[in-house]
Amino acid sequence: MATATAGKGQSGGNTLNQVLFYVFLIGFVLVSLFPLLWVFKMSIITKTELFASPPTILPQNPTDSSYTTIFSDPSFQHALLNSTIIAGVTTVVCLFFGSIAAYAIARLRFRLKSSVMTLILAISFFPAVAIIAPLFKEFAQIGLINTYWSVIIADTVFALPLTVWLLVAFFKELPKDLEEAAKVDGATTIQAFQKVIVPLAAPGVFTTAILTFIFAWNEFLFATTFLFDDSTQPVTVVIPNFASQYVTNYGAQAGAAVVVTIPLVIMVLIFQRRIVSGLTAGAVKG
Amino acid sequence: MTTSSADKKRSRGFLKEELGNPERRTAYYMVLPSLVIILIVALIPIVSSVWLSLHQATIVQTGAFVGLQNYITVFQDSSFLSGFKNTLIFTVVSVFFEFIIGLAIALAINRAFRGRGLVRAAVLVPWAFPTVISAAMWRLMFQDQVGIINYVANTLGLINQPILSNNTLLLIAAILVDVWKTTPFMALLLLAGLQTIPGDVYEAARVDGANILQRFFQITLPLLKPTILVAVLFRTLDSYRVFDLFWVLSNRQLESLSTYVYEGVRITQLQFATGNAAAVFIFVTAFLLALFFIKVLGMQTSTEE
Amino acid sequence: MTQNQGEGAKVSAGKRISRGDFLKAGSAGVAGAVVLGATGCGGGGGGSGSSGGKNQFVLSFGPDDSGTLKTLVSKFNKQNKGKYKVKWRQMQADTGQYFDQLRTQFQAQSGDIDLIGGDVIWPAQFAANGWIIDLSDRFPESERKKFLDGPIQSNTYNGKIYGVPWYTDAGMLYYRKDLLQKSGFNSPPKTWDELKSMAKKVKQDSGTKFGFVFQGAQYEGGVVDGVEYIASNSGSVLAPSDSKKVTIDSANSVDGLKTEHSMVADGVSPKAVSTYTEQETQTAFLNGDAVFARNWPYMYALISGSKIKPDQVSVAPLPAGSGSGGKSVAGLGGWNFYISAFSQKQDAAYAFVKFATAPEQQKFRALKGSFLPTLKSLYKDKEIINNIPVIKLAPEALSNQVPRPISPYYSDMSLKMQEQFNASVKGATTPQKAANTLQSELKQIIKQGSGA
Repeated sequence: MATATAGKGQSGGNTLNQVLFYVFLIGFVLVSLFPLLWVFKMSIITKTELFASPPTILPQNPTDSSYTTIFSDPSFQHALLNSTIIAGVTTVVCLFFGSIAAYAIARLRFRLKSSVMTLILAISFFPAVAIIAPLFKEFAQIGLINTYWSVIIADTVFALPLTVWLLVAFFKELPKDLEEAAKVDGATTIQAFQKVIVPLAAPGVFTTAILTFIFAWNEFLFATTFLFDDSTQPVTVVIPNFASQYVTNYGAQAGAAVVVTIPLVIMVLIFQRRIVSGLTAGAVKG
Repeated sequence: MTTSSADKKRSRGFLKEELGNPERRTAYYMVLPSLVIILIVALIPIVSSVWLSLHQATIVQTGAFVGLQNYITVFQDSSFLSGFKNTLIFTVVSVFFEFIIGLAIALAINRAFRGRGLVRAAVLVPWAFPTVISAAMWRLMFQDQVGIINYVANTLGLINQPILSNNTLLLIAAILVDVWKTTPFMALLLLAGLQTIPGDVYEAARVDGANILQRFFQITLPLLKPTILVAVLFRTLDSYRVFDLFWVLSNRQLESLSTYVYEGVRITQLQFATGNAAAVFIFVTAFLLALFFIKVLGMQTSTEE
Repeated sequence: MTQNQGEGAKVSAGKRISRGDFLKAGSAGVAGAVVLGATGCGGGGGGSGSSGGKNQFVLSFGPDDSGTLKTLVSKFNKQNKGKYKVKWRQMQADTGQYFDQLRTQFQAQSGDIDLIGGDVIWPAQFAANGWIIDLSDRFPESERKKFLDGPIQSNTYNGKIYGVPWYTDAGMLYYRKDLLQKSGFNSPPKTWDELKSMAKKVKQDSGTKFGFVFQGAQYEGGVVDGVEYIASNSGSVLAPSDSKKVTIDSANSVDGLKTEHSMVADGVSPKAVSTYTEQETQTAFLNGDAVFARNWPYMYALISGSKIKPDQVSVAPLPAGSGSGGKSVAGLGGWNFYISAFSQKQDAAYAFVKFATAPEQQKFRALKGSFLPTLKSLYKDKEIINNIPVIKLAPEALSNQVPRPISPYYSDMSLKMQEQFNASVKGATTPQKAANTLQSELKQIIKQGSGA
């Protein structure tokens, strides 16, 4: 596929093309990363410098005081764990239910398909801000308030439409013959799904997983409404609280933002490899 | 729940046909869990919202049925109208740029090159950055005394007034931040779609002498269309409900449809019913938007084989 | 969790790891999560559920840098061991968000929170909805007399008292003593007009960037500043005698808004002041970029450690309006205790209120955290006066506090005031037009409120 373009090298202007390509790439990466670098800078400068006017471009007196603040706050460490649990479980639950439903929709024949699809999609049309109060009531009645599950369930419901739609799109792209072959070999629908479709759909599944994970990791509104103390609150709720009524500790918030972003970058680095190798490798193995 | 109530209306033959067939029965079992979760969690609040929007209501009591009166009130409210306008501009402009830039990036990184993994990870950083935090950080960058962007823009003579005090500049700032933040999402979706296009299709086209533009318009775009439509639809629906970005970046100043709903249902005492009406309005218009994607743009739905 | 993972591992080990096991691993994850979820639930739920321990109750309040609330909580728990136990639930630092959270819980009639450490603007709305209880019997007139008038007034709705003042806040004028002296001014301005002319002169003499900074942004703090300008011209938003009568379009009130607008129009305040909250005000002043600043007492403690020195700064009551009825006022802020109507532990909660508002505890928080006491007697306490310079420098400010309008529809009104005050500051509308718009909007709110 497109790999060939860079690999083969067919024209004389290739070196120039390569250079232009990398310039574009570097420029783009810089634009994406600049705000993060700036936030990082904010996290290592003193309060006086943070509020210097005009702003300094490079840090004058690097200090680790912001990081000392956040790491000496036990609620922040707790929050990192809580965020990981909430986002992780949401991703797993979402992919579990989502891929089953998506498989049925993509591969099986049944009449109410379009109604089912519409219903799933319709949920993502409703503004989350409007259902929070009634949802709180519902969750309070069944005792879910201030548990991970309150947020996991709400996040799942709002992430599920995207999960299902993406997976349907990915599943439909896959060749049908492998699956038919599996069925001829005596596999049931479920087995065919597990053994053939899931490995083949790996790139799509991982993409979906990353997007779901990040969605849940970033969610704020449900978390701030349903979770009360630092035994359950995720980072999105805890970070803005590096503040008092009138004064925001931007240094600590910036440091905390850097800290919570790094694990995601690492995770993405790991999963990217799966996405890249996904399709071809999966087909060969299957 | 709905499946059974829908079934009742139809003949028994339908039920027998659908549930008698093992493949179809399996299919229903497979979609059921997702449906149940969604129905239990979201349907009750949505129905109650619709109901409240048709009544005179404050947060503590529900009064008489007033028909569409709340909807009329909403449309006479200047806050709602400016929120509607801001949301429309924000959605159209930001999704447009996200799509164009996202596609360019997806095409660029869909090949082998040194440092590919790093680039892909770097690209996702903005998306991975929690909005509530990034919006606060951006606000600081736009701020008139200490903000780097305000400083640079002023030095270059791009603007002659503080960014945060002007609603038009604030809207532009919000679009900028959103494009920065969600382009990676778009790029990743499109990249995943690109990778499902088999390489031999390109080989064949190249053998036939198609140049790079022809290959893009005749192969890549058509084959990518399902992914594009899904990505654009979801981004559109997401932008259409924009809340925390506006809320934090503008310090509750810039109105969107969702912030209007929030004010109504979670802050004020008296706009509770109109807030619900606005929520239902978002719901219905978003629904129409999705229908537009499916019917007019030919987005693939599940029903086709 | 470990058990489930073990099972998952067995499966994969047995069969050569393939991606097909992804789903199995997934379901193991779900099962594992159930265990985790249950722990989270047990930990969180057990601690916070007020129905839990005998006479254990929950106090809600935002983050507290000073650490004094933590001390208070453990002291109370030690003193009342076996009798009462208070647990502090930390809410969002952002007051608006804290309010939204409480509202959602009250709407669900949740009895999770027993005692609320809440903003001074909340009681009327909470009381009108029946969410907090009338404290008239527990907190009789004889007790109320000991507290500052402003905070008591802000807790009174329909003749009943719904909150006990915990600590207070008042808008004050910070000024650069050194720069004023350099320009030949030996005392702070008494009126807004004086402030403007002094600011212009000092800006000229010393090249200071801004003359005066205050909170002009579209947010709750913008309402406080707007109300200050209005009240300093002896205007009002709602008639003091009849809270159902809107008076924002009276000549005096409009004069107040005109004064506020003139700060920007006359170049005394930067254009960007229409985006300023306390944070930006503080940044400008502590960077030495402003001659005058309107802010709360908290800023005084931040001067050391900034670009200016404490001996360059002094504090005065805010200037008076220039008209005949002009007077110096201070916007009322601060926090009170309210008891939830859904609480089963109201007596226990009130025991904490009594404890926390007693002289000893108020003094402790004043000395340790610079929180302004609400008891009149403490303003004569030498230690406190020496520790909190603003009390010594601007004692009048605390006796001239003006509350924001007291109405069960305050949050509706506030949204409108935020919008119009801000529009008037930045010149998007004229002060007169803003007042006229508000007049009809607030009237509509009152009409709608009494109709519903």
